[in-house]
Amino acid sequence: MDHVSEDELALYAFSSEAVPPERRIAIERHVAACVSCRATRDFFAVAEEDFGDADVWERVAGSATRESLVAYAGRIAEEDEEAEELVRPLLDAPGKTAWMNLLAQRRFRTGGVVRKLTNHAASIADSEPLGALTFADAAISIAEALPDDVYPARAVYEIRGRAWEKRGYAQCMLGEFKAALESLAHAEHLYKRLASPWLGLARVAYSRAMVLYEQQQLNEAAAIAERAQQAFAHLGDDDQQMKAAYLLAGIRYEARDLESAVISFQHVMEYGESVNDSGWIARASKAIGYCEVQRGNLGEASLHFHRALALFREIGPEADRVSTEWGIALVLLHGGKRSEAIRRLRDIAAEFEKHGMVTDAALVGLDLADGLLAQGHMQQIAELAKHTFDIFMNAGMLTGALTALAYIKEAAASGTLTTEDLQAVRGFLRRAQRQPDLLFIPPPRNR
Amino acid sequence: MQEPRAIEERTTSSAPKRTAAADAAAAFEEVYLLYAAKLRKIAVRKFHVPIPEAETLVHDVFATYITHAAAVRDVERYLVGAICNASRRWLKRADAADELFCGEGPCAATAGDALLDEIARKLLLSRMLAGSGSRCRALLQRYYLNGETTSAIAETMHSTPATVLVFLHKCRKRALAAYRALTERG
Repeated sequence: MDHVSEDELALYAFSSEAVPPERRIAIERHVAACVSCRATRDFFAVAEEDFGDADVWERVAGSATRESLVAYAGRIAEEDEEAEELVRPLLDAPGKTAWMNLLAQRRFRTGGVVRKLTNHAASIADSEPLGALTFADAAISIAEALPDDVYPARAVYEIRGRAWEKRGYAQCMLGEFKAALESLAHAEHLYKRLASPWLGLARVAYSRAMVLYEQQQLNEAAAIAERAQQAFAHLGDDDQQMKAAYLLAGIRYEARDLESAVISFQHVMEYGESVNDSGWIARASKAIGYCEVQRGNLGEASLHFHRALALFREIGPEADRVSTEWGIALVLLHGGKRSEAIRRLRDIAAEFEKHGMVTDAALVGLDLADGLLAQGHMQQIAELAKHTFDIFMNAGMLTGALTALAYIKEAAASGTLTTEDLQAVRGFLRRAQRQPDLLFIPPPRNR
Repeated sequence: MQEPRAIEERTTSSAPKRTAAADAAAAFEEVYLLYAAKLRKIAVRKFHVPIPEAETLVHDVFATYITHAAAVRDVERYLVGAICNASRRWLKRADAADELFCGEGPCAATAGDALLDEIARKLLLSRMLAGSGSRCRALLQRYYLNGETTSAIAETMHSTPATVLVFLHKCRKRALAAYRALTERG
């Protein structure tokens, strides 16, 4: 039989009743056997349904939703453009931003200005947390003055929530943990008023896990980091998901749940490999190296550290490269090659000092002291502690760390220093880095 | 080991810079046209949200997306995740925690099935209609979207219902040709 014409197939699909019965039977038989005619018949049949779907027509006929959202997107872009000009002169001057009453000037009272200030706070929070706090506060003051209905779908709560979220993050970086948790709770409260709050809530969860981690509330921190990880996964943000996974792995490391930590860091490394991201591979390799040192798997540790080192040498940052060298020195120290480890640790401490990373230099000094203690060189430990004490003084870091270092110096000078003392000071210095008001209390047996 | 600190915040600087409000609005419009139908279908078909409410949910998901679009890495997964959460919240099936942090990653509604095929087919049909002749488009729109009868259309065209049926038939054939061309182009 010849193929059925398109006209006839269209008529058949549109209204089979319109085709005479004997012809209908012939068409049905042919279509059952002929792929080409069946495809044409299917198109007409499906199109008949599809043409009735409003979604198919939205591109052509428009819709109220589309029009209002496109207008809104244009408005947001306009606000952002205007804000760029307005805010640019302020970005290098947090002090000026702090004393200028932006709120009093009408031109600054826009969502665009809030977004610019908040974005800037986010971008400098790690390097200049105090500046970030200033910008976040300025953003908050404007955001809260905007009418609740300035944007559709209560979207003003997104920019308010984000400004409070960045305030919390900056406070965390400054060691103001209680205030950080309060800001994050406020951010969460604001986000929950949004019609679609999930990305904001995931970010709040991530920041909250960080704060709790800093406060050593490790179980709670782990639970929240895990939820943040799931939420980012759900929203398709792989990179944020990996940040949460990396934080979770770090929390597990801190809790000495080394097996879980290694599994989590490996997950991060696999992600880095899958997207060919050397940064993730290097960070995860270094972290696994540290886990393996703790587990006594020095060969494994060495392999991971050397992989990380090769990448950090290529892509930086310098601090991570030095930190990886530190891990390799620890492998040597724990492997019994003390003299070589001590030589390397001295170099590493000097590098951290050169970069102004005094707490890291002090922590390396404690590993060095471990090596010297094993060799019975108490005098060298006392000198090392004095040297580190002087560095802290010169850096103006008049915190409990000075008491801790003085304690090491005295214990070494009197010949009573133990590895437990060094471990206690190590734990204290790590916490004092983010909590400058922390007081050092010597280990119980030596008090 | 140095403490694993927060990894530097992602900011908008890495996102494509908006050159002008009009460009941004047009870029958003493309995103909207690409995904809005899919989100509606997920809300209606997968979660059985009534159509008017689904429209509101889609609107609200996009409205929030616009305010932080630069921070969204994978637009489709973000939007699908958001509409799943929004639909769940609307249904009030989950408790507060589950509602906010759905453990499914990605949302089960994204599972490849006939729905995805249908959405892809309709998206193509929609593009085809946008590129088709205005007379055919207007006729098909009146008949299929507006639900006008052939008699009503014939009256405004000073014609007969039978002629309208012939025109409709020709337009469907043109649609088929355009659809094939688009499909073959890939």
